[in-house]
Amino acid sequence: MKRFLWLIACLAWLPVAHAIDGTQILQKVDRNLEPESYESYRQLTDIQPDGAKKISVLYTMKKGRDRLVALFLAPASDKGRVTLRLGDNMWLYIPDVGRSIRITSLQSVTGSVFNNADILRIDYSAEYDVEAAEEQKDAYLLSLKAKSGEVAYDKLKMRVDKQAILPLSIECYAASGLLIKTLRFRDIKDFGGGIRRPATLETDSPLQKGYKSIMQWSGLKARTFPDEIFTLNYLPRVEELRK
Amino acid sequence: MSRRRGRRQPWPLVLLAAAAAVCAQEEPPFDASQFEKKPFELGGYAQLKQEHFELDRSAAFYKLGFYNQPQRDTLDRTTGTLQLYGKARHGSGTFDFRLNADAQHDQLGSERAASIFEAAYSARPTPGLTVEAGKRSLKWGKGYAWNPIGFVERPKDPNDPQLAREGFVMANADWISSPGGALQTIAFTPVLVPVSESVNRDFGEAGHVNLAAKLYLLYRDTDIDFAWLGEGSRPARFGMDFSRNVTSNFEIHGEWARIRDFQRPITDSAGRVTIEVANAASYLLGMRYLTASDTTYIAEYYRNGTGYSEEEARQFYQLVDTAFSTNDPALIQRAQSLAQGSYGRPNPGRDYFYFRAQQKDALGIVYFAPALTAIVNLQDRSYQLTPELLYSGITNLELRVRLFLLQGDTGTDFAEKQVSSKLELQARYYF
Repeated sequence: MKRFLWLIACLAWLPVAHAIDGTQILQKVDRNLEPESYESYRQLTDIQPDGAKKISVLYTMKKGRDRLVALFLAPASDKGRVTLRLGDNMWLYIPDVGRSIRITSLQSVTGSVFNNADILRIDYSAEYDVEAAEEQKDAYLLSLKAKSGEVAYDKLKMRVDKQAILPLSIECYAASGLLIKTLRFRDIKDFGGGIRRPATLETDSPLQKGYKSIMQWSGLKARTFPDEIFTLNYLPRVEELRK
Repeated sequence: MSRRRGRRQPWPLVLLAAAAAVCAQEEPPFDASQFEKKPFELGGYAQLKQEHFELDRSAAFYKLGFYNQPQRDTLDRTTGTLQLYGKARHGSGTFDFRLNADAQHDQLGSERAASIFEAAYSARPTPGLTVEAGKRSLKWGKGYAWNPIGFVERPKDPNDPQLAREGFVMANADWISSPGGALQTIAFTPVLVPVSESVNRDFGEAGHVNLAAKLYLLYRDTDIDFAWLGEGSRPARFGMDFSRNVTSNFEIHGEWARIRDFQRPITDSAGRVTIEVANAASYLLGMRYLTASDTTYIAEYYRNGTGYSEEEARQFYQLVDTAFSTNDPALIQRAQSLAQGSYGRPNPGRDYFYFRAQQKDALGIVYFAPALTAIVNLQDRSYQLTPELLYSGITNLELRVRLFLLQGDTGTDFAEKQVSSKLELQARYYF
């Protein structure tokens, strides 16, 4: 009888011991990637199958979990364009046009494999719930489900480095189960201020065979911004906030 | 795993994968220091445009435009444009400008023009408050092709809605607040537009300091604007607009404006002109839809409250016809005077439909975006169809070809324009 009770106790204890809190891991991933409010510079390189490249440079400001502004600094044809994201809402301001138009998450303002949801990415935990978390040898595998139909990808499969709690790769799926793209993080770099994270993100897509896009970070640091800059009226003046 | 290793790979794919891997490795590290903010910035574009016009010698606006001039069937025009924009910063203030210069040559002669589109100084005492003075091009409204609430701006050309336009000399402020909750943003923009014999002469009657204002709200994910222009150089007017995403790839928008005591000259076929004074309401309803295959559709219905009905416009075309068939100089002069006013606007009719479909990366060519645009006068069924090819695959260079085809019965809006078709080639280089 004693042995039987001991066996039951062991069985009851096992799942508790190995349960992984996926939500907590995802929140850690968010904070390890960037502080909640930050500024950064990014270079987007879009590579065509013939090797031709198009390079864009963006200055990004983020506040809280879901407010983000990205200003184009290069190329000259895009300079001064600003994209704003407030939760599920996205706008593009074009200086020649002089006003903002609504854009969608699946479009790409740069013509890149990265779409607007990738370029204007807010916290993963703001957009996705953890459906399942699995522990592997060196990584956690998180299965994420979009919180609403407005999110660009219905499901994500995120491999997270167990030690650094940073993403290694993310597979992005449509609601139909179709793999839209794979994001691969690399080049862990110390940005200072306690931020140590991948400096490069690469992506390709089975839907755009032969094309590849690379995002590289520089000057990533924590900075707080007033709420007013994350508004349509402020977009023509966003550049003045750069130091 | 071992099975995968053992599988034979086609050697071209292996080479391609290896080359791609090398490319990825060779991507140099990104250093943002070269993009530091500078106290002075200069940019712009140079553009060359070649146009071939097929003139319609039976059309009313051809007869008026080519009166007492050598008659032509075609016209070839070359236009060079230089647009310069820049910024100078000092403390919390910024001076920015946009200058435009055009030089144009065709068989009728040559012309040069230079103008200051914008030049204004802005000060930002707090993040939520900006005060500006100078020449500024304010763009109000959510419509793509037309903006009924564009109260303090020059009219938009529906054939080039994204083109920068010359502003007006003004003083304005922008106050922004983000209260949070359902009302995410409030922004208030008061504007003062002085009009005298030497300043903003084309805004309206001289001797007024015109007051206008716009209130913007982002309420429950919907953009809402309320706009107002007080009586002065132009009749008083007010209106509103909205824009919202129904789904992530489907946006709807609308505008509505009411002008008080708008004066509209109306002519009959004998050239008797009466001035109708009445309140005019204009509105617009539109949508923008993006498909999974990256085709963008834009559709708009525009009710032009200050426009002319099919019958009113027909009377004007008959006046032109009578004036030229009788060769009556007084009638021709009267028709020319009306054509320089509201009858000669790009879209003088009352009901229009705008449709545009653009395919991104068409035929598997990245940065190649063909488009088809149609503008239809819904009352007289005349229309303009514009197929377009756009390529922006070379950094900072944009190449565009457009063909404008105008169709309609005699006495209709697009059939009575000066041209029956136009081919346009344009190259624009940004620097």
